[in-house]
Amino acid sequence: MDYTKNEMMAIATGREFKDGELAILGVGLSMLAGYFAKKNHAPNMNPFTEGGVYGSTPVGGLPWGIEDNRISTNATSFTNGIDALCMLVASAKVDNAVIGCAQVDKYGNVNTTGIWEDGQQPWKVGKYTLPKTRLNGSGGANDIAIGAKKYMIMAQHEKRRFLERVDYISSPGYLDGGNAREKYCFPGGGPAAIITNLGILRPDPVTKEFILDAYFSFSSVEEIIENTGWDLKVSPDVKMVPEPTAEELANLRAVDETGSLRK
Amino acid sequence: MGNKLISMQEAVSKYTWDGMTFAHGGGLPVGSDCTEFFREMVRQGVKDINSISHCSCQGINLLAAVGGISRIEVGFSGLEVYGFANGLRRAVESGQTILEDYSNGSMPLRILAGALGIPFMPSYISVGSDQEWCSADEPDVYPNTKKIPVIQDPFTGKNVGALSAVVPDLAVIHVTMADVNGNAIILGTEWSRFELSRAAKKVVLQADYIVDTDCMRQYPNLVRIPDFLVDAVVYAPMGVWPACSTGCYDSDEEHFYYMNKMLKTEEGTQEYLEKYVNSYKTSEELVDVIGKEKVDLISKSDTAFLMDPYRKWIKTDAEIKELMGGR
Repeated sequence: MDYTKNEMMAIATGREFKDGELAILGVGLSMLAGYFAKKNHAPNMNPFTEGGVYGSTPVGGLPWGIEDNRISTNATSFTNGIDALCMLVASAKVDNAVIGCAQVDKYGNVNTTGIWEDGQQPWKVGKYTLPKTRLNGSGGANDIAIGAKKYMIMAQHEKRRFLERVDYISSPGYLDGGNAREKYCFPGGGPAAIITNLGILRPDPVTKEFILDAYFSFSSVEEIIENTGWDLKVSPDVKMVPEPTAEELANLRAVDETGSLRK
Repeated sequence: MGNKLISMQEAVSKYTWDGMTFAHGGGLPVGSDCTEFFREMVRQGVKDINSISHCSCQGINLLAAVGGISRIEVGFSGLEVYGFANGLRRAVESGQTILEDYSNGSMPLRILAGALGIPFMPSYISVGSDQEWCSADEPDVYPNTKKIPVIQDPFTGKNVGALSAVVPDLAVIHVTMADVNGNAIILGTEWSRFELSRAAKKVVLQADYIVDTDCMRQYPNLVRIPDFLVDAVVYAPMGVWPACSTGCYDSDEEHFYYMNKMLKTEEGTQEYLEKYVNSYKTSEELVDVIGKEKVDLISKSDTAFLMDPYRKWIKTDAEIKELMGGR
């Protein structure tokens, strides 16, 4: 069967959404994975965006932003950011979500704020130096990270992105591991999976360190270890993720009408 | 209450000053924001702005590119699918603009605290991460404990973050419809505009349409910003361009990319200013600058039907001119 690595990643992420879930979706891959799930196997899923756009599906292509007219055109309710991000997300009412990252570490902490020269990171030098490259900041991902019952992190699997410790924690995963989240009383459950273009990592239930859970038909345990910047442990039950079915691919491509995942 | 319609030029000269704390709203970067107000700030050379919003936008990107922003507190500084905001990025990387990071949820809560008149909002957002530990105002201290102090919940003794209140000098708020007194209806998500209209010391509305007050009497539940909160109303058709205004026009994809590409360098920014900022004065001239064909194209929005219930109350350009009485 003919499909791209990014299509496999989107389908693997979409499979994590269950019917009936309340879900918050962001731009790009997150929306594709979420709306694929709704079309494919979760017709009663309730997706919304962080500004409070409810009951809608994208029209005319993938939205340029989460309050773009392409997502606002068939909404059944418009509210506001405090409603969506604070009352629903940060209060642990949301079942599932997806966030992206520039860097992720072995405890699922996500950096979307900046890239520093190695050795110049604030946590290493003890002061807030300027990043070499300024990125977008957390947006609503911090709110999802502390509040969603669970969420997934989507990432391109590269050594420079998968680090022992991220340069800057924009959105906290399990911090230093174990029950470190408890100190901050985060109401949410933390990241449930890191889903990449090569495979799926899931946290160890006790240490919360992310370990390799599954690879794809086109990748291997060795390739994933090779592309991970920390000493990646492999689950004794490591397995291959089932390939996309013809129906799944058709449903994904119906959502990804501009073919962004095939490029 | 009285007629508060004024021109964009007057609004910027009367309500902004160098060094002020300026808030804008506000959807996300591709959503509706007061882009035209930003262009007029650039034309009038307003500088040393301390900017407050949950999210950046093309207006911020432009004002930062010309060096007009000295400090910004924001949850998201990019342009969504359109990429990183090159003008703002350049200003931050060079150290010209100090950027204090929060999240899209913690910024509205800080504005809400300002609106409620309380010193802080307890929340779990932004703590336990570098949003708490890194403060651009105090770069020599890490981990920082003053930006978002972790305090004890007096009822349970557990930890909770204290998000400081913000009270902007001015909030410029994009609305879809306003009457001349300042009653306003927003189509699309209102994001943080409700709390912003209550937190700021002064409020200026930038509206796509001026409508009769009868429209507000027909839909009072939708009027989330009542007139007494508002100091001035500016009529600015196409004023959100190149972003989208729900019910009015879609985002201009081609220009969105072009603008961001130009703002990447100082030379590009100068060329952009000549072509798209300093090349017109009135909203009629703005249509020529965008191009009539492009305006027609993006005005054929799938969301246009959202305006249908209100169309009979829309004031024509001639009526608005008369209401402005030469202002």
